[in-house]
Amino acid sequence: MVATTHEPGLKHAHFQTAGLPALLLLPQLLILLFFFFIPSIRALMQAFLLTDPFGASVHFVWLDNFTALFASDSYRNSIWVTIWFTLAQNVVTITVALVLAFATDRVVRFQSAYKGVILLPYAIAPVIAGVMWAFLFNPAVGPIAFFIKSLGIQWDPNRNGSDAMLLVVLAASWKHICYDYIFLVAGLLAVPRSLMEAAAVDGAGPIRRFFQIALPLLGPTLFFLTTMNFVYGFFETFAIIDAVTRGGPAGATNILVYKVYQDGFINLDLGSSAAQSVLLMTFALLLTLLQFKYVERKVNYSI
Amino acid sequence: MKNDKTIPRIAVGALALIMSGAASAEPVEVQWWHAMNGVNGERVEELAKKFNESNDQYKVVAVNKGNYDEVINSTIAAYRAKRPPHIVQIYERGFMTMLLSDAIVPVQDLMDKTGHKVDWSDFIKPVAGFYSYKGKLAAMPFNSSSPILFYNKDQFQKAGFDKPAETWGEFEKQLYVIKKSGAAECGTALATDYHWSLIENYSAINDQPYATQANGYNGLDTEFVYNKTLVVPQVARLKKWLDDGVLQIAGQGFSPEQLFTSGKCATYFASTAAHSGIERNSKIAWSATFMPWEEGRQPKNSTIGGAALWVIKGHKPEEEKAIAAFFDYLAKPETQLWWHKATGYVPLTNKAYEMAKSEGYYKESPTREIAIQQLNRGTPTDNSLGFHFGNFTQSMFAQREEVEALFAGKKDAQQAMDDAVKRGNEVLRQYERLNKGKY
Repeated sequence: MVATTHEPGLKHAHFQTAGLPALLLLPQLLILLFFFFIPSIRALMQAFLLTDPFGASVHFVWLDNFTALFASDSYRNSIWVTIWFTLAQNVVTITVALVLAFATDRVVRFQSAYKGVILLPYAIAPVIAGVMWAFLFNPAVGPIAFFIKSLGIQWDPNRNGSDAMLLVVLAASWKHICYDYIFLVAGLLAVPRSLMEAAAVDGAGPIRRFFQIALPLLGPTLFFLTTMNFVYGFFETFAIIDAVTRGGPAGATNILVYKVYQDGFINLDLGSSAAQSVLLMTFALLLTLLQFKYVERKVNYSI
Repeated sequence: MKNDKTIPRIAVGALALIMSGAASAEPVEVQWWHAMNGVNGERVEELAKKFNESNDQYKVVAVNKGNYDEVINSTIAAYRAKRPPHIVQIYERGFMTMLLSDAIVPVQDLMDKTGHKVDWSDFIKPVAGFYSYKGKLAAMPFNSSSPILFYNKDQFQKAGFDKPAETWGEFEKQLYVIKKSGAAECGTALATDYHWSLIENYSAINDQPYATQANGYNGLDTEFVYNKTLVVPQVARLKKWLDDGVLQIAGQGFSPEQLFTSGKCATYFASTAAHSGIERNSKIAWSATFMPWEEGRQPKNSTIGGAALWVIKGHKPEEEKAIAAFFDYLAKPETQLWWHKATGYVPLTNKAYEMAKSEGYYKESPTREIAIQQLNRGTPTDNSLGFHFGNFTQSMFAQREEVEALFAGKKDAQQAMDDAVKRGNEVLRQYERLNKGKY
């Protein structure tokens, strides 16, 4: 009876009744229900309301919250800031992680120490990391800021939006490089040695071997990592932004997720904040779909 | 045989006695959510303890809920979940939000209902005036402050000055001399609440209209107008100071107060409540004085900052009695005097102020009197009463963003203030739409 008449494989359930699988799924579904579906539905409802924080007056305002957002300069600015921030963070993180991962093989002595140092930032709480970066690069007291200024470069992330953006990109990437690094090291280990050795015998140097063999074979890993980096940039960099710039100066680092928080929890504009979180969720969903639709096609999963 | 019955009887009797004893001795407990950290946080704990020791009927439990933003958020969440605390400390900027929230009991009503006689007329006017609505106090004033100018005595002397000048023009010249002569690395440190001291209070002191309808006191249809006043050259001045290194932003990861207490910057515009921190941390010879004003103007009173205690509605009568008893204790001149001395916040009643004067407190700590004198200076005009704007945090936030755009050189002063006013007015209109007919 147990799945014998069909071809074997994971695609077919091996349960005779629906009861057990439902029971096993229940904890996960409950978590999703309480921590995702119910809050999402409430956010969606709130997005169409204009209300005071205590809920004394509630007006149904149709799409007013959304139209107000698209009419507002600061929201449009926030969209651009988010695009730049996540793109830059993605490029920096993946490039550095790739170089470090490829170099892992070449580090002969102290390899575990090398790996340990790279993995360290992941263990540091984002807020602590953010405060540290803010302090080191603070033009009034930070040693690195003094060094930059001693080179004759203007540096003031408290005033200058592009300096602030650079700082949060670096801080966010620094925190996330180790994550990408682990996957890339694993990915490189999966590249068959025979291929590399054959190429070496044919006279391909390490750089050529990297670009022509390792990189294409890392395709699936890189695809996965870009998706994860976007998710990280969209949602998880909140603590770093909060500690390093608070979205400033003049909104220069006010990424969408931070603006949701600011408008909801500082400014107590719940309707707008809910509308923003609905939009943010939509953007993230669209981006992931686009990635799967267009980028995944170009990724070669088989060796 | 006899014992068989008496022992249980005694036991039951004893148990009943213990239980009834517990019931009568157990004080009525009220929760107080506050936002005071550091030195002032310790003082709040002390205040609750003092009240609890002063009586055995009521007990106040003070709980720190983070900063002001976090307290109001926790309050909203708790209120919506129908488990609110009794007393919450809400920043002055949240006055309108709380007043029209339908979630509060006006404090004067509560005191009347519970039979407490408080001499409200003895409350210092700018404080009571700020928290009143239709002639009645809506919230219990608690920690009230006003901005003053702290300065480094040695650095002023080194540059050849006794003290900061009274007018902005002269004060500016002093700061440039201090910077150029090397007496200090920077003239002044920009406080994180500069919008309050250098824009809002600047407007009040110089009698500049900030918004129509007496800065919101007379109606929800108020509109910001500070883009047509001296505020524009004021923010332009700050930008110039910043360009010339006279003004220093502390930025994230660092506190502007440290720029002053470490001797890096010669002055610091800050709340009088900064006293406790500066006294504890600074190694410099410092003093303080009044906020400057513009040449040729009669300076008006400054306005208050800080927070007040709001009573959330829907609690049991005996708990309301406990709240009232605590407020009664809080309003006592002795309590006020202690609080004033311990924190640097202004005393809330004239009686407490007189007590401080008569015991010579201001002879030993003259800078503690500046804020009160400044608050009480002259007769308040429509421009110096205070600021009653709905969602004031939101419009303040927009204003700060525009000032930052000015600092970054993206906009000029006029453009920045025009945009700030435009964004602020959108916030006011949304609030008006939401609360039509309630004010």
